[in-house]
Amino acid sequence: MINLASRDIAHGFGRYLLTGLGLGLLIGVTLSMAGIYRGMVDDAKALLESWQADIWVVQQHTLGPFAESSSLHDDVYRGLRGMPGVAEAGNVTFLTMQVKRERSEVRVMISGFEPGRPGEPTLLTAGRPVTRSHYEAIADVKTGFNVGDRIRIRRNEYTVVGLTRRMVSSSGDPMVFIPLKDAQQAQFLKDNEAIRNDRSRLAANPALNRPGVPGLLDAVEANQFSNRNVNAVLVRVQPGWDRQLVAENIKRWKYLQAYTGEEMEEVLVGKMIATAARQIAVFLVILALVSAAIVALIIYTMTLAKIKEIAVLKLIGTRNATIAGMILQEALGLGLIGFVIGKLLATLWGPHFPRYVVLLTEDAVRGFIVTMVICTIASILGIRAALRVDPAAAIGG
Amino acid sequence: MDTQAVQPAILLEGLRKTYGTGPAAVEALKGVDMAVYPGEVVGLIGPSGSGKTTLLKCLGAVIEPTAGRITLGGEVIYEHGWKIRDLRALRRDRIGFIFQAPYLIPFLNATDNVALLPMLAGVSNAHARQRALEMLTALDVAHRGAAQVAELSGGEQQRVSIARALANKPPIILADEPTAPLDSQRALTVVTILNQLAREYRTAIIVVTHDEKIIPTFKRIYHIRDGRTVEQQGEGREVVAAANA
Repeated sequence: MINLASRDIAHGFGRYLLTGLGLGLLIGVTLSMAGIYRGMVDDAKALLESWQADIWVVQQHTLGPFAESSSLHDDVYRGLRGMPGVAEAGNVTFLTMQVKRERSEVRVMISGFEPGRPGEPTLLTAGRPVTRSHYEAIADVKTGFNVGDRIRIRRNEYTVVGLTRRMVSSSGDPMVFIPLKDAQQAQFLKDNEAIRNDRSRLAANPALNRPGVPGLLDAVEANQFSNRNVNAVLVRVQPGWDRQLVAENIKRWKYLQAYTGEEMEEVLVGKMIATAARQIAVFLVILALVSAAIVALIIYTMTLAKIKEIAVLKLIGTRNATIAGMILQEALGLGLIGFVIGKLLATLWGPHFPRYVVLLTEDAVRGFIVTMVICTIASILGIRAALRVDPAAAIGG
Repeated sequence: MDTQAVQPAILLEGLRKTYGTGPAAVEALKGVDMAVYPGEVVGLIGPSGSGKTTLLKCLGAVIEPTAGRITLGGEVIYEHGWKIRDLRALRRDRIGFIFQAPYLIPFLNATDNVALLPMLAGVSNAHARQRALEMLTALDVAHRGAAQVAELSGGEQQRVSIARALANKPPIILADEPTAPLDSQRALTVVTILNQLAREYRTAIIVVTHDEKIIPTFKRIYHIRDGRTVEQQGEGREVVAAANA
């Protein structure tokens, strides 16, 4: 028996292919959206893994530096180092800002760290670690910076001495690592006019500028124009110690919040990325509906264009199942072409996305099945129209 | 033809068809009687709205008559309802259709358009194509077998559509104004072909037509008017004159 669907497709292959291309673009976007979600999860895990922290200590009753504002005194780490089971502790700060390089600007997350302590980026792809106390930086490759580049953070210039990769914040901003003191300064650094204005205001405040209390004004100024806070302390536990137990001890005795690496991953993936994941899920549903509507309309239009031929086919004794099969095969063929083009496009444009896109085979398989199901459902409209065709329509005008 | 000695291929007795019910009912056929014998080409003429197409649809088993009897090759297929369950198979195996326009399947080539019918009847692809080639040869279009429908001229398309109607060698062919889109020469050629095929395959052919060019070629004509048939025998030319009178 002749395969009517393949003949019909071959007859108008150009138009069919163009339709498949259109559908492929939609499927490509859908696969990329799924890839972006996977990339976000993967980025979050990679970020936490690269810090190699067993425990994240943050301000009490907060979810940590990524999800909520967290502020700790920068000497807290000393006390933590003395606790049982703690091998190392290091301060870290986080600050999202625009960084200038020559005439361009890049949005980055600045992380302050103490060289040699937890928080220092260890996986370098180029250059060397930070060795000086000030004005050296390590940047994620996504920033576009190169080793030797001079970048401007607030009023100071930094030299990029090393590059790392897969270090991006949950919002996708690539990270730049600078020494802790510089980062603390950058968080609160004001312009000269603002500092002069603040000093004048303090000097004009009789409560802070008492003639009978010499040094009070200086002390207030020193306190106000400096920053002794960090956002988190990263802790590594000694071999053989249960990190959950060490975290519990920190919470109990230091009145701080302590998360194990797994718990911090849960905060990042389960809470921060959850909203983005829901957005992507809604987009995926919308795209699926749009794809279904497009396939349904195309198949329906293709069927309507063949109404007279279908009437003739039915009149000369073609089974309804044969005609329905032809329409279904055309819809599935469209889905197959669309999926192949979509997968190809998603693979090609994936690396050019500003975010890390992970195209998993299992997602592709899922996408293929969903595409085929959508095409099957979408073909119902065309099949219904074909089955309603009266063979009598072939006779007469 | 000695019509008394041969069983009719098509026999219609008191065939009625009413569309709708109640006051809006329209009686398209009001008791049609007709007999067509194997190897005979019969003309069916009448003004627009007289019931020609309705009669063809009833005969083609695509609409159900309201009353009467249809007998094909001695087998009653309609009397107080269809007597055959699989009307699709009836149309496929026992009735060939030729339409006003060729209505070929545009995505199949000429051979496959013809071969499709035997294939639908379960004939193997090779045998179906062989049979298609025979029919195309009989209609002198075998050399265009590989051509797509769009590449065929109007006359070639009509020949292919006739070959398709004959592909399952049905005892009956219903032709609905098969010469309407053709010029006089081609129209007469088609009628000649139908006559040849009717003789060769012993096929009973009913040709519904308005075409005065071909009416004179029929030996027997049924004139349908207001849903009733009047058989007119003799030379078609006389029939036309009588009808015009």
